[in-house]
Amino acid sequence: MKLLHLISWQYTRKHGLRTVLTMVGIVLGVAVFVGMHTANQSVLVAFHKTVNRIAGATELQITAGEPGFAEEILEKVQSIPEVRVAVPVIEASINPKLKTPGNILVLAVDMTGDSSLRDYDLDDGGEAVIDDPLIFLAQPDSLMVTREFAKANGLAINSKVSMETMQGPKTFTVRGIMKSGGLTSAFGGNLAVMDVYAAQKVFGRGRRFDRIDLALQEGIGVDVGRKKLEQILGPGFQVETPAARGKQFESLSSVYGMMANLTSLFALFIGMFIIYNSFAIAVTQRRKEIGILRALGATQGQIQTLFLIESAILGLFGSVAGVALGVLIARGMARGLGDFLGEIYGVAQRADELSTDTRLLAFSLALGVLTSLIAAWIPARSAARVDPVQALQKGRYQQLTTGENRVRAVAAVVFAALAIGLAMVGGGPFFFYGGYLSAVVAALMVTPWAAVWLSWMLRPLLRLIRPVEGALAVDSLIQSPRRTSGTVAALMLSLALVISLGGLTRASYDSLNQWMSVGLNPDLFLSPSQSISDRSYHFPAEIVDQVKAIDGVRTAQGVRTVRVNYRNEPIMIVTADVAAISGEAKLPATAGLHEDMYPKAAAGEGVILSDNLANLQKLKLGEMMELESPNGPLRLPIVGIVLDYSDQKGTVLIDRKVYMEKWKDDTYNVIRIYLKPGADVVTVRQALLERFSSGLKVFVFTNKDIRDYVVKITDQWFGLTYIQLAVAVLVAVLGIVNTLTVSITDRRRELGVLQAVGALRNQIRQTVWLEAIAIGLVGLALGLGLGAIALYYSLEFTARDFAGMRLEYKYPWAMAAFLLPVILGSALLAAIGPAESAVRGSLVEALEYE
Amino acid sequence: MIELTGVQKHFEGKKRVTALAGVNLKIEKGEMVALVGPSGSGKSTLLNLIGGLDRPTAGDIRLDGQLLSGLNDDDLTRVRRDKIGFIFQFFNLLPTLSCIENVALPLHLRNWPSTKIRERALELLGLVNLNHRLDHLPEELSGGERQRVAIARALSVYPPVLLADEPTGNLDSATGAEILKLMRDVNERLGATVLVVTHDRGVADSCSRQISLRDGLVIEDLRRENVRK
Repeated sequence: MKLLHLISWQYTRKHGLRTVLTMVGIVLGVAVFVGMHTANQSVLVAFHKTVNRIAGATELQITAGEPGFAEEILEKVQSIPEVRVAVPVIEASINPKLKTPGNILVLAVDMTGDSSLRDYDLDDGGEAVIDDPLIFLAQPDSLMVTREFAKANGLAINSKVSMETMQGPKTFTVRGIMKSGGLTSAFGGNLAVMDVYAAQKVFGRGRRFDRIDLALQEGIGVDVGRKKLEQILGPGFQVETPAARGKQFESLSSVYGMMANLTSLFALFIGMFIIYNSFAIAVTQRRKEIGILRALGATQGQIQTLFLIESAILGLFGSVAGVALGVLIARGMARGLGDFLGEIYGVAQRADELSTDTRLLAFSLALGVLTSLIAAWIPARSAARVDPVQALQKGRYQQLTTGENRVRAVAAVVFAALAIGLAMVGGGPFFFYGGYLSAVVAALMVTPWAAVWLSWMLRPLLRLIRPVEGALAVDSLIQSPRRTSGTVAALMLSLALVISLGGLTRASYDSLNQWMSVGLNPDLFLSPSQSISDRSYHFPAEIVDQVKAIDGVRTAQGVRTVRVNYRNEPIMIVTADVAAISGEAKLPATAGLHEDMYPKAAAGEGVILSDNLANLQKLKLGEMMELESPNGPLRLPIVGIVLDYSDQKGTVLIDRKVYMEKWKDDTYNVIRIYLKPGADVVTVRQALLERFSSGLKVFVFTNKDIRDYVVKITDQWFGLTYIQLAVAVLVAVLGIVNTLTVSITDRRRELGVLQAVGALRNQIRQTVWLEAIAIGLVGLALGLGLGAIALYYSLEFTARDFAGMRLEYKYPWAMAAFLLPVILGSALLAAIGPAESAVRGSLVEALEYE
Repeated sequence: MIELTGVQKHFEGKKRVTALAGVNLKIEKGEMVALVGPSGSGKSTLLNLIGGLDRPTAGDIRLDGQLLSGLNDDDLTRVRRDKIGFIFQFFNLLPTLSCIENVALPLHLRNWPSTKIRERALELLGLVNLNHRLDHLPEELSGGERQRVAIARALSVYPPVLLADEPTGNLDSATGAEILKLMRDVNERLGATVLVVTHDRGVADSCSRQISLRDGLVIEDLRRENVRK
């Protein structure tokens, strides 16, 4: 401990800026880890809270996926002797366009039985509503809101609220204001309660419910009750406790969780290289000090421990700062994530409170310290092996030894061969991820050698630009590979990530465009919701004929999309008149023939899967697919697999007749409209709006609107991943600052000599700038190269484990061209501070510097 | 040529240290002057001030009539690169540059055309008898050869003033004598004013003038005829 104070503390104090820069790598890594996970956790907790608070005394909930089920099921459940009370529920998230921004959750219940499950604790004056539910029921425009919501929107008893309904905008009357606490805190207090039968009309649900909430007779255990209900209702229904209902939501947000892990681990990984770099430099610079300690009797173990404790302390401080920063950024991220999940999956959620998990925070601290320790392990071992005799001799700093180079070269060849071998073998995740890891390790091993080689290549070019400054800048890299290789490696990794994501983005947009041009070819789309992904409102079956009757419309096709559980994954059923739809749009097939698959699917003799569903669920053409429905299982062969990017979890196209038979649901979410040749889109759009202005609630989107929407959603998705890029590039730039700071300290004498023999300040600055540019160029060359390999693995990962989408490999040249000025500009920016410090200070001291 | 009037240099720290306490000195063109004195007497500080590497706390330094204290950093650098050549004890060659590149360095910094730079560098390396070592790196040379490269670099623009800080301090006596001969040659053939800081009696004795310092003051100024043989 004394040694730590005497030796390490003095060094740290002397190199404060470098210590801070080194720590920033860990701070960012841990902050992103804590921020993204806390945001994810907050959204999940908020969802669970909403479910639990809304559940009240509910012991079990019955659902049948998004389609819901017919009213008769309620009577069936109520007649089961084990059930004490069973009430119907419809839940929808809508945007009422009030002062409070965002959506509110509408909980529609049957007030006659519901008060025995949920506690509607009303403000004075509203008790009559609950005492006599008939008051509520007798007036279908009744609405109860929370006190917070009422206050935020200036509502009182008997206030009027306008809401969009399937019959157009309708005015509702506030007949109760719920006191704070319990139920009212669900969905961040943005909750409205209405009558379930009124909700059926409002949301166009027909005579269907979303869910049944129930309590069992006294003495009946939840497991017993569930088994009984499952037995009576069959596998098409899910009977779960309220707590278990979060599973589907968790599954949807799991993709985000995976991305959060990747981002933060990548940031930490890059941070690790910066720490490695700093410690490797510190060991080189402190060789003399280590030599003296060894000469005075310090053991190898003591030296190694000294450096490891230094790194652990650095890691701890960095992690604490990272945790604090992570919690700070989590709030904004949680809000964004809630909106994002709502937009993509139509499962809106608000996370107004932050849920910090102490285990996560403790784990983050440990992760930061561990990363720091791993990074410092090799430099600490090198420190312990310093030969005191050599260290005390004056001379140049040690360079990578021949022995080290040889080991690295052999390791690089072995890992590269392993990566190629595993890629050729293919198959299971072990081979795939093992191959990826081997490729990255091989690249890392080859980095010091490649950096020196590329620097040699650059020398003539930079000499051509500035004969002295250019040559000295490159020589600085060649002379001290240990000083630069960590930063170059960090830069290489981050750029490889940028390229792989850039390629993935490009491929995704290309595939989406291709899909949109084939699959999204109607001229107009009619939707009951303002958002095409929102499935709260449904159209009645007769709407298709009404649309077809409008002047200028050639044909119209109703489509219903519903999320159902398949092998515990929430996949999407797309149901429509397959014969009609295939006449207008045939998606590119990856298995099966169009002329075979569409007629079979139209005849109800098979289903057509999206390529990503087939990939994710390992389903093949000809296999039998079994889907559970409220009316027994649906077993149909897979007659075709097509490229369809409608849903990340995958889609299954089923003919409407089959769907209606099994799910008893004849509603639609969207109507695809094709116009007659020569018909004007604007005129028909206006005609549609006028036709339904007094009846149904409709939104008409043009083809461009929908395409723009798909692109917007994709942008949002990739927007999230760009956080990854920003962090990676930032950490790499910090690495350049770190390296240059050390470089100008190392080269203080050299720069002093340059000034003594006549170099002007600007010429010294240019040397430092050119060194930064050289690091940038070397990092770019290696990063763009590794990016080509990383892109291959990213596309494979996307196809195998992420969204199941098989995307075409196209190297993102435009992105690479864009990175050139960005990285060189960032490198120059990073060089400003070090360059200024290089021209300041005493020239005499610089010339005497050893 | 070089004129110092009341030059003082103090180093501020926890305690103020006086390196030069008020030096008045005049050195004529073409003189070869040895600055001698015990460690800490202020010889190197004086050399650094004359060379424009440092600035005096008080007093004036004139080089060819030009007052150095009024110049900004870049102008001082220009004076340095046009009028002064430096020779250091530890050579201060750039380790990654070859002999010819080291010699050419100040010329590149002046943006001379490449052909002229090469011509001059070859000429200078010929002058110090190193034409056979053009592309060698400093680490491939002996101590004496390194110092000869340093001298060639210092002469790159044939500056009127050559400042040398212990030029033989890191060399054996035979090599030291060789370097000294070279410097005297430069002084005689090129007419350069040479100032040498040295602890070596032999070096000091070979100079036409010997200035002794102690505690930051000139305590003795001997011309050749008075220098002890």
